[in-house]
Amino acid sequence: MTTKPSSTHKLLTAALVLPLSGCDGLQSVLQPAGKEAAEIATLFHVLLVGAVVLWILVNGIFFYVTRLNPRPLSRRAAETLIIGGGILFPTIVLGILLAWSMSLMSSQRELGNAPVSVSVTGEQWWWRVQYRREDGSLLASANELRLPAGERTEVTLTSNKVIHSFWVPALAGKMDMFPGRVTRLALQPETTGTYRGQCAEFCGTSHALMAFQVVVMEPNDFERWLDDQAAPAKEPEEALALEGRQVFLREGCGACNTVRGTPAAGTTGPDLTHVGGRTTLGAGILPTTPDAFTRWIQHTESIKPDVYMPSYEHLEQSVLEALGHYLKGLS
Amino acid sequence: MKKPSTHDQEEREFGEEVDSLWRIVFSPLVWVFHFLACYIVTAIICAKMPAGDTLAGLRWFILGITLTSLVGIAAIGWRSWKQWGFVDDGVKVQDLPTEEHRHEFLAHASFLLSIVSFIGVCYVAVPAIFLDSCR
Repeated sequence: MTTKPSSTHKLLTAALVLPLSGCDGLQSVLQPAGKEAAEIATLFHVLLVGAVVLWILVNGIFFYVTRLNPRPLSRRAAETLIIGGGILFPTIVLGILLAWSMSLMSSQRELGNAPVSVSVTGEQWWWRVQYRREDGSLLASANELRLPAGERTEVTLTSNKVIHSFWVPALAGKMDMFPGRVTRLALQPETTGTYRGQCAEFCGTSHALMAFQVVVMEPNDFERWLDDQAAPAKEPEEALALEGRQVFLREGCGACNTVRGTPAAGTTGPDLTHVGGRTTLGAGILPTTPDAFTRWIQHTESIKPDVYMPSYEHLEQSVLEALGHYLKGLS
Repeated sequence: MKKPSTHDQEEREFGEEVDSLWRIVFSPLVWVFHFLACYIVTAIICAKMPAGDTLAGLRWFILGITLTSLVGIAAIGWRSWKQWGFVDDGVKVQDLPTEEHRHEFLAHASFLLSIVSFIGVCYVAVPAIFLDSCR
């Protein structure tokens, strides 16, 4: 015979589900995949354990003197407790913690030494990404960051109109992005995989929809990927994709977006030369499937409120599908 | 010799309390000035300094201003301790509406604020030990 869980048991399980879900996943500071994030996680764990021990100690003493052994303390004992436990102990403990956390600052701010550096500009509400290789060549991308594992990549940050904040919790701490000013951080991912980044400073209507993916690759794979990205867009082969390219150029999409190898050379919006090969669309909010491209172009303003790109609801479904196929083919 | 009037006596007492009231804020004020000096000077130096320069000068400045502040706070604390007169009469609680208790209470408060300010100045200066660049 099985026993039914009690209501307290159910309530406890329900209460733990939400906070525990934050301990895992692509965007968790508790599952570090980079050098900086690992240091921050260690700092957090030490502080957490220390706080729990102190809480038990303080409440244990309180319980002891008020419930288990309630008797008046001598004035001397009370003063020793207040001065020792209230002034000396916290001053020394906080001083040690302050010195320890400060000593981590220099390693958190070390310069990058990878052969590639990246600049990221916060737009409303997407991320403009540019890679600079050792030979000085520049490579435009958007809404996705690729990094070599085990190398320290310098990332310079700025913003176009409002303040944003660049944060990949699994890799490092956050850094604000200001219009007219350049800030920096360096990312040293240790484990290959895909991680999620998110704008961490409220920046307007679609702030919550301003995310991105970070793909950490083996250094050799990363170099190959850079070479591929430097090439112009592939010529579409299917009839549907060819029609999509004609629509793309006819509808004026090239006024805002670049597709290298075509007349489309706009820079207001993201570079789409290899958009089909990215992990997400619309800054981390949709998959890069032909259907998602179609939906995004048709309902842009309802998917991402107040975005500059207009919705193309007036286009026929077959035309939109052709566009979706063309864009997905840009890999 | 003319005997001092009650008014004169009150004025002297009052005058002393005015001093004591000011003394209460001296230590926290030193802490405030130390905090502002450290952060403002660091911000200006980091904004103007060419990349790659060391921060040795800034660290010496912070060390100097910290030692000066600590000596100042210690002096205010010592004066408050004497005015409190705890060693003489052992009174820790000043809760009577008398001139003596008011006099000692203000010194007591000033002494405790000096301790807080001393710790605060030390904490503000700790980052300078680990500061190796403006990054």
